[in-house]
Amino acid sequence: MPPPGIWIDGLVQSSIYITMAFGMVLVFSILGILNWTHGQYYMLGAIAVYYGVTAMGIPFPFSMILSGVIIAGLGVVVKKALIDRVSGDLYVGALTLALIFFFEGAASMLFGLQDKGLTQVLPGVLEVGAISISYQKLAVVIFTLVVMIAMYLVLNRTKIGLAIRAASQEPNAASLYGIRVDRVSLVVMGIGCALAAWAGCIMAPVYPVNPFIGRIPMIFSLLAIVIGGLGSLTGAIVGGIILGFLNSVIAYYISYYSEVVLFVLVVLILLVRPQGLFGASLK
Amino acid sequence: MKRQYGITVFLIVTAILFSTFALACGEQKAAQPQQTGPVVIKVGLPTALSGPAAPWGQAGIDYYNAWIDLFNKEGFKIGDKTYNFQLITVDDESTPEGGAAAAKQLIYSDGCKALAGHWTWNYPTVSAVSNAAKVLLFTRTGNEAVPGGVYDPKTQPYTVFANPSHQQYLSDCLALVKAYPNYKRIGILDSNLGKGIGWDYIDQSLDAAGIRYHHEWFPPATVDFTPYITKYAEAGCDIIYSGGDITSPMLVAKQRMEMGYKDWHVGHAGPFVDPAIYLAVCGYEAAQGFLGQYWCNWEFKDTKVNPKYITMCQEVEKMVNDKRGGKSYVYTGWIGWLPSHLLIYSQAMEKAGTVDDPDAIMKAIRGGTFDSTTGKWTMSGAKTYGSPVVFGCPGCICQIQGEKEVYLSESAMAPIP
Repeated sequence: MPPPGIWIDGLVQSSIYITMAFGMVLVFSILGILNWTHGQYYMLGAIAVYYGVTAMGIPFPFSMILSGVIIAGLGVVVKKALIDRVSGDLYVGALTLALIFFFEGAASMLFGLQDKGLTQVLPGVLEVGAISISYQKLAVVIFTLVVMIAMYLVLNRTKIGLAIRAASQEPNAASLYGIRVDRVSLVVMGIGCALAAWAGCIMAPVYPVNPFIGRIPMIFSLLAIVIGGLGSLTGAIVGGIILGFLNSVIAYYISYYSEVVLFVLVVLILLVRPQGLFGASLK
Repeated sequence: MKRQYGITVFLIVTAILFSTFALACGEQKAAQPQQTGPVVIKVGLPTALSGPAAPWGQAGIDYYNAWIDLFNKEGFKIGDKTYNFQLITVDDESTPEGGAAAAKQLIYSDGCKALAGHWTWNYPTVSAVSNAAKVLLFTRTGNEAVPGGVYDPKTQPYTVFANPSHQQYLSDCLALVKAYPNYKRIGILDSNLGKGIGWDYIDQSLDAAGIRYHHEWFPPATVDFTPYITKYAEAGCDIIYSGGDITSPMLVAKQRMEMGYKDWHVGHAGPFVDPAIYLAVCGYEAAQGFLGQYWCNWEFKDTKVNPKYITMCQEVEKMVNDKRGGKSYVYTGWIGWLPSHLLIYSQAMEKAGTVDDPDAIMKAIRGGTFDSTTGKWTMSGAKTYGSPVVFGCPGCICQIQGEKEVYLSESAMAPIP
């Protein structure tokens, strides 16, 4: 049995994958596209909060909110100016793939390649018996809980949430009921990008910030939604939890082969249930 | 008629253009003045200027250029001719393709007689180009340059290992053990990309030296080291010394503090680019005591360095610091790379009495004794590497104290069989 520290670590890993995956599923369910640039919004959020705190002196919570809003705006602009002008899943996929390199290159030029850190935010460690967890990592878990509760309330208790759910299930019927599906898709894109950016913001004090930090979260959030079931918000949460704990436990037991084993397990899950755990059965 | 006229006009225009071009070339050739100053030897530096490894590649450039300016004030002499170096730097992107492209550009387009200062992990492709062109390559050893690796003295006779990574790592560990004689176990950390015969060779050396260690490998781009720190704790490690990048040991330093292992010593086999990076990423407390290689030759205690080269290095530090607005020195890694390589190269050319014959220069290098910025060493490794083309260096370690690097310990490298 792994020691308690490994389980706590798994919880932290899960939290970040859940936040990323949730945003990705939201975008997929409305727009029908896998936004390959999702990881870059994570990276841009981290960079934005870094500059907000260090260069502009804005307290971290406000920097985080501001970063999310800015990156959400960027996502909306990308959707309106680029994605909407391209038709066909293949071409949209190619466009968002190209944007990965564009954002990384731009960030490299503006931000530089060296790792930077925000360790001055939430320093210190909480010790409970033999278990230690940094306040930074605790904040990640609490943040994810807050985001999930907020998203649940928005999607289930607000008009815009109703519109989002309607548009994701039956866009044509929703438009007949007067829902502006194109506007809803912009809102969803903004929310999805904001979630990715906030994931990057909350992780910025935990891990170093550089232009390439978006790649791995992107891959893992994609895996989480594939395990959970494309288009399922519940699946994104469950997929994130499974992936986070698996990642931590496997690395503890088989460090050298951990990635190989992890991806083999993902493949096995998909072989048993190709639609994912919460996806509709494939016909 | 019209067609004939067109052809005639075309031929006339072509003849005029060709004549103009030939005339211009001739004038240019005629205009070249007789060379009365030092003869310039072009040396190519294929290094990472882009990509994740760029911070290390970029860190040394200003120092290298300043060193060459200083060196060229006297230059080196063969007969009655004085020679200077000219450095040409090309980004090798730290990739195999980038390395080959950089080497080709430096050799075939820029006319470099040697490649030096090379440290990136693309030795096979760079050496394939340099050896085919009979251009000397001064580089580091890696996975490929051990018994059974890619390096073959018969097919790669123009390679000089002026920075022996494996022997350096052993020397570093001996220096750590000297600094912490009551250590329990050294935790060795590297990405699984580095796993191979090189690390096997180091493990054998550590075993032979009686050093206790425990190895962990992580997938590339890992940022969460909780599982690995847990394994190190279970293995009884109290020093973690990484062999690869700087991000992973910085994260280990940070995360081990968060997990309660505050007494551990953490570091990496490489010089500090800038301690400020470690303070920012690890946090001030976690960065204290961070270990790194230290090439500050004026602080060496066990290794004797020619005072002339110590003075030159100090002058270079001052030149670069003045250029950067008076900041005190932070990067010392440059001292053990290009300057050392160029000193070996120039002394070998002096011994060989030629700058144009790579075979004669290599003959002078093999088994020869050279004086460099990191001490005087005799090329060795005839048995281990198949050819005595491996230069020595001290294993010198520093640690971060406050915001600066401070000398910790040193262990001179033993000759390689």
